[in-house]
Amino acid sequence: MKMEWLLAGLLRYGTWLASIAIAIGLVLAFTGSLTPGMQVVTLGIGLFILLPSSRVLLMLIVFVRERDYRFGLIAALVLAIIAFGVVVGMHTPSGGPA
Amino acid sequence: MDSGFTLWLFAVSVGASALGGMLGMASGIFIVPILTMFGHVDIHTAIGASIVSVIACSCGAAAPFLEGRLTNVRLAIVLETATTAGALTGVLLAGIIPVAFLFFLFAVILLLSAQQMLAKRGEPAAASRSDESGRWDALHSSYPDRILGREVPYRVDRLRLGMILMYGAGLISALLGIGSGVLKIPAMDTALRLPIKVSSATSNFMIGVTAAASAGAYFMRGNIVTAVAGPVALGSVVGAIAGARILMIVSNDKLRLLFVVVLIVLAIQMLLAAFGIQVVKTSA
Repeated sequence: MKMEWLLAGLLRYGTWLASIAIAIGLVLAFTGSLTPGMQVVTLGIGLFILLPSSRVLLMLIVFVRERDYRFGLIAALVLAIIAFGVVVGMHTPSGGPA
Repeated sequence: MDSGFTLWLFAVSVGASALGGMLGMASGIFIVPILTMFGHVDIHTAIGASIVSVIACSCGAAAPFLEGRLTNVRLAIVLETATTAGALTGVLLAGIIPVAFLFFLFAVILLLSAQQMLAKRGEPAAASRSDESGRWDALHSSYPDRILGREVPYRVDRLRLGMILMYGAGLISALLGIGSGVLKIPAMDTALRLPIKVSSATSNFMIGVTAAASAGAYFMRGNIVTAVAGPVALGSVVGAIAGARILMIVSNDKLRLLFVVVLIVLAIQMLLAAFGIQVVKTSA
């Protein structure tokens, strides 16, 4: 059950890291450094968005190392769909005010 | 940046996430209606903020389930091909669908959630059949049940039907910025026939990846507004932690009733907004 513990660690510490970044950024923004503060908040949001994908990447690595290529391929497919979504997001108009 | 508004966003998210977390629902189902109805936030901005908070709650809650071996990670990755494909479809539709229809769809999902809250979930009947091919045998697993004090084996049934329902769940998740547990839980209970603990843990685990598929696209599109999404995500994490603590104290049935009332009130407001009847001003 090695993979479950790896994933648990990644998600637990990743959540902490992203939350702390957002908290620090908001405090900075409140105490006068608005622009750098909001940049740190954006970084924290970016970390949250990347966290599930890094979890899938970690699963992909573990599956391949265990020579479980079928599940490795499935993990790669999920990553590809997410990546495709990002590309679509860059090229399609926003529904609301950007 | 208006610091009062930031604090309001933070406080509302703590409350929404604590309430949702107590009954195993993501905070998104409250956040979008509250932000649009009371915060006068544009619905696409509200959905963008909500989807980030959905990721935060899913990732934040995942570790204990994984360590307790309740999450079926293999089943999750298989179903995630369907949920992310659904989310991608949602991203493509989100820019085209009229705002009024989004409000209407949200109201329907709120009412479905209220109905699901009232109907208690029973343990699905064990399947008395093993005619399915051995191709997906790797998905069958077992989990340690603390009350029974033993390992409980289970099978994964009707994978195809489960995949179709998960595609729908991904689509709704991306369109409305919610975790769409309201669709995932029936898919897990009714189609796949998983034990409740396994389906709750696995559903929570999948919600993060499903939300990430649309969040990545919305981030690139500029729908994720830092000043709104930041306090909402942080508030949701704090609320999720608080909710788990309060859960130990408060009676579950009273909570369930409160939850249903809140869902119905929000549904009525979303319906009114959908048909252009503005009780409170809905756009900034």
